[in-house]
Amino acid sequence: MINWGKVWSDFFIFLALTSNVGFIFSHDPYQLIIAIGVNLLATVLKFGAKKILAAELLATALVADLHLIPATILYFMEFHVPLAIGLAIGAAVANVISIIMLIIEIIFEYLKEEEI
Amino acid sequence: MRNKNNKKEKHYGNVRPKNYRAIYEEKFYNILFQLRYPLMTVIFFTTLGVIMLMIINNKSDGQSVLNYFFHTVITFSTVGYTEGYGTENVNLNRFFSTLFIMISIPLVYIYGLVTTVNVFLNSNITEIFRYWRMYKAMDQLKGHYIVCRFNGITRELMKNLKKRGIKYVLVEPDPALEEDIKNFGVEYYVIDEPHKRSVLLGVGIERAKGVISAFEENTQDLSVIVTARLIRPDRDKFSIFATATTEGAAEKMRLLGATEVIVPDVAVGRRMSSFVLHPPSPTLSGFLEKIAYGERTDIDIIEVKVDQQSDLIGKKLKDIRMRQETGATIVAIVRADGKMKIAPSGDAEIKLGDSLIIFGHPKALRRAEEFFESHIVQNKEGDKVS
Repeated sequence: MINWGKVWSDFFIFLALTSNVGFIFSHDPYQLIIAIGVNLLATVLKFGAKKILAAELLATALVADLHLIPATILYFMEFHVPLAIGLAIGAAVANVISIIMLIIEIIFEYLKEEEI
Repeated sequence: MRNKNNKKEKHYGNVRPKNYRAIYEEKFYNILFQLRYPLMTVIFFTTLGVIMLMIINNKSDGQSVLNYFFHTVITFSTVGYTEGYGTENVNLNRFFSTLFIMISIPLVYIYGLVTTVNVFLNSNITEIFRYWRMYKAMDQLKGHYIVCRFNGITRELMKNLKKRGIKYVLVEPDPALEEDIKNFGVEYYVIDEPHKRSVLLGVGIERAKGVISAFEENTQDLSVIVTARLIRPDRDKFSIFATATTEGAAEKMRLLGATEVIVPDVAVGRRMSSFVLHPPSPTLSGFLEKIAYGERTDIDIIEVKVDQQSDLIGKKLKDIRMRQETGATIVAIVRADGKMKIAPSGDAEIKLGDSLIIFGHPKALRRAEEFFESHIVQNKEGDKVS
C-alpha cells in the first residue's frame, strides 16, 4: 500500500532540489521564485515530524532557506548576482544532503520493519 | 528524545529516567506541527501570486517583483490599500486580483493566518517555556531532597528547607493541587507518581541527598521507600524520611529502608505534653524546640560521634580547646552505653564510643565537625578495629 503522506512530503523535498538546480543553470527570475517557494514549503513540511533523522532533515532545510533568501534579495537588487548563484548552489548542496538523509531514513525504517 | 547527558550508573532493573525537560521540548515541537498546513498555504499562495503577476505583466526586474510581493501580501492580509502593479494591463491585473482575493481570503487569511495566531494563543507557549526552564534547572540539581506529596506536613518542611537554602524537588501525584503548589512558590515540582522508578530517576535521585515521603496512606509511603532504597541502597549516603500512621507501620518502614519514620499523632502528642510539663515562659518557651525543629537559622545543634581513631579520646574537655578554636559549645556527652551527661564540666573526659552534642552557630558547628575530623589519627597498620 502506498503511503500518500510520504509521497506528498518527499515530493516537496525532491522538488526543492530540482527547482534549485533549474535556477542555477537558467539564472531565470521565475525559476528563483519557484525555488524559494518550494524550499520554504519543504521546510514547513518537516515541522513536527517525529522520525529518526527529523532534527537533521529540518536543519538542512533551514540551511537551504538561509542560502536562498539572501540569494533572492541579491539577485533582484542586481547586486552581486554571481554571489546569488553561488548561494543557490550552496542551497542545492543542502538539498542533496537532505535527500541522502531521506534515503538513509528509508533504509532504517525498512530494517525496523524486518525486526518486527 | 533521549537525554544524552545522562550518566550511566548501575541501578536495579533497566528503567530509563523520565526526562521532564524533553517532554516540554516535545510539546513545543508539537506546536510547530500544528503550524504546518497553515504556513504551507501562506507560502504557496504568496509564491503563486508573485509568479502570476510576473507572468501577466511580463516583468521580472527587482523593483516589480518587490511590488508584486507587496501586492500579494496586502491582498491576502485584507489590508489592500494600494494596487501594487503598474498602470499597464490594469484590466488583466484586476481580473487576476479578483480571482486571487476570492481564493486567498478564505484560504490564506482565514485558514492560514488566523489558524497560526490561534495555535499560538491556545498553546500556552509561556507556560511551556516556564516548565522547560524549571526542568532544565532541575537537571542541574545536586545534593537536593525529593519531597513527596504536597500537604500540611511537607508545606512546613519546604518552608524550613527554603529558609536554610536547601534545594528540593516536590513530587505530587494529584494534578488538582498544581495551582496550590505554584502559589506556594515551590521552585521545582513534577506532577507524577513518586513510586515509579522512572519518576524518581527523572527528578535526580542518583544525585539527591534524600527522599522525604509524607503520604496520608502507609502503602504509598512504603512503595516510595522501597523504590528509593532499591535505587540508592547506601544508607549512609542517602537518607529516607517518612511518616506513618501507626508505630507498627513505622517499624516496617524502618526495616524496609527508611532512615527515620515519624508518626504524626505521636509527635504532636509529645509536643503537647511538653507544654504541659514545661509551662510556657516568655523567653524560654519553645526555645529548644525551635532549635530542634530548625526554625532558627542562627543556632543549631548537632551530634558528633568521636571516631575510634581520634587522638582526643582520654582527654579532658578543657584541654582540647574546642570552644576557643571553633566557637561551638559541647552541651552534652552521650556515653557508649547511652547515658547522657548534660552540661559537662571542663574536667569531663572523652571516652571511646562517646557522642558529643554540640551547640552553636551553623558556621561554628561546621568548624567543629572539621575539628573532630582533623583529630582522627590514621592507623599505620591499617587494621581497623570494628
